[in-house]
Amino acid sequence: MTGVDVASIRGGRRKKFDYRKLVFQLIFLLPAVAFLVIFMFYPIEETFRMSLMQTAALREPTFIGLENYQRLFASAEFRKGLANVLAWAFWSVVIQLPLAFFIAFSLVAHSNKLAGKLRVVYYLASIMPSAIVAMLGRFIFAPRFGVIATISQKLGWEWLGNVDFLGDPNKVFWSLFAVATWAYMGFKIVYLMANMEQIPTEIREAAELDGANRMQYALYVVLPMVSYPMRILAIISTVGSLKLFDVPYLLTQGGPVYASTTLAIILYKHGFVNWRYGRAAAVGVIIFLLSLFFSIAQFSMQRKGGEFE
Amino acid sequence: MKNIDLITEEQPTRLRSFGRRRRLTVSELLVMAILIVLALAVVLPLLLPWFFVFKTRLEFAYDPWSIPRRISWTNFKEAWTAIQIGQGLINTFKVCVGAVLCTVPSSAMAGYIFARYRSRWTEVIFYIVLMGYFVPVHMVLIPLYQLNSKYGLVDSIAGVFLPMTAFGIPFWTIIYRSFFRSLPGDLADAARIDGAGHFDVFIRVMLPLAKPATVLATLLVFIDSWSDYLLSLIMINDQKLFTMQLRIAQFMNAYGTDHMPRYAAAAVIAAAPTLILYILGHRWILQGTLAGALKG
Repeated sequence: MTGVDVASIRGGRRKKFDYRKLVFQLIFLLPAVAFLVIFMFYPIEETFRMSLMQTAALREPTFIGLENYQRLFASAEFRKGLANVLAWAFWSVVIQLPLAFFIAFSLVAHSNKLAGKLRVVYYLASIMPSAIVAMLGRFIFAPRFGVIATISQKLGWEWLGNVDFLGDPNKVFWSLFAVATWAYMGFKIVYLMANMEQIPTEIREAAELDGANRMQYALYVVLPMVSYPMRILAIISTVGSLKLFDVPYLLTQGGPVYASTTLAIILYKHGFVNWRYGRAAAVGVIIFLLSLFFSIAQFSMQRKGGEFE
Repeated sequence: MKNIDLITEEQPTRLRSFGRRRRLTVSELLVMAILIVLALAVVLPLLLPWFFVFKTRLEFAYDPWSIPRRISWTNFKEAWTAIQIGQGLINTFKVCVGAVLCTVPSSAMAGYIFARYRSRWTEVIFYIVLMGYFVPVHMVLIPLYQLNSKYGLVDSIAGVFLPMTAFGIPFWTIIYRSFFRSLPGDLADAARIDGAGHFDVFIRVMLPLAKPATVLATLLVFIDSWSDYLLSLIMINDQKLFTMQLRIAQFMNAYGTDHMPRYAAAAVIAAAPTLILYILGHRWILQGTLAGALKG
């Protein structure tokens, strides 16, 4: 389609080489490529290089091999951050994806006016800035004046009213996870809905003729057909968990102590609080390699299938 | 690789209600009820600040969650001066405009080449750009900061939106590429035969056809950069250049619960622009262009 060689149609003879076309392509690619090279590829190379250096104030960086990585894996804080983001990735795939599938399927199947309005509502939280999301999370979970504390006080439920959702190391993960689920579900629902709406009517009619009920239709017809978009969502959630920063940092700064820390918070603290660039770069490399690993793994698990057309 | 773009607004909704002729069953009503409860769970937290914004500090301390007795805009006025909201809004607005102006044209141009001038070398560059989609900005924060400080971009608005652009380009290039590929090629070919140059074809024929993608990109890049926290946190130390999100975060940590009414008022103002954009543009945002393009 794009290979139409206009010159050959116009002149009846092939030109040897179309310089204008080449120059045009180069000029059009230049801005995007320049941005990527300057602000992404060069910094990636620098991150790898710096992760092998020891950096201290007022001293030239010295090469120390993998010591930054060894120090990281030896620290309990880093191991906790790694465990947190991996658990976060696991639970967001296990909890959020099925929930998103249920909501998206129900909305598409009940296609009345209300369902159309609900889709707009579900996406609403996704456009909220994270500073606002964090603030709302604080309104809900704060001890004494928070929504949960106030309501349970009115009902006389002391067991609930006295829970410190953001200050208790055993509960902070789930409090933050609840806030993030609230904030990030909308995109997943809307994305799945858009894909489900592509399923041709005939398939639904065929399923109906075969006597499938709604549940069977959802699980055996629709689910396999959206398995590719579901995998994309799994990658997006996993990679998103690895670089989790805003909500935990704003609500707890990774605390209490480091109970709710994440890789990105550790990177920020090493890099911009303690000014240990080498150590921070090593965290960056680990985030990068893990995202690469999970993206490749999830793509290659099942390359094809689930696509119709 | 065939992608499905929902270009038209009125897209034929398939998979219409399963078994439409039947009456609503109990289970269907139950599902609908669950959906409504979940929708309320999304909306209700967004209403929480409104309990506070009309209250004085005393009223708030006495009973934070009572229904406000009167509507007074004092907190908004005080927040406006105390948190310097005007300045924060202008700074954030500059970041957003910069990000849109850099991201959208670069992505449209690159996406166009990848869609309509396919050759071995453009495909190679496309895959390199595609890899950028999986690189988290968090990984390169340190070198980015050093790069910016070397060229005087720390404590500048450009220092925030230039890296933001680089990390937005891969995604929007993918979107534009699949959008341009879904357009019929005949028009462009006809224009070429009539003697229009490569550039003319793009500006006069193809770009106007890609308007839905451009509207979507502009809206979402704007909303995303409005919400940015991390890049501004790292690149901006000068209070005069603080973005809205930095102001909110700073206020939250500095005053705790004491000044909650004022803080809630500031948050309401900070959320307003994206909310308005979403209400005006939700048809474009929810259209499914994103979903279609990500399949490709």
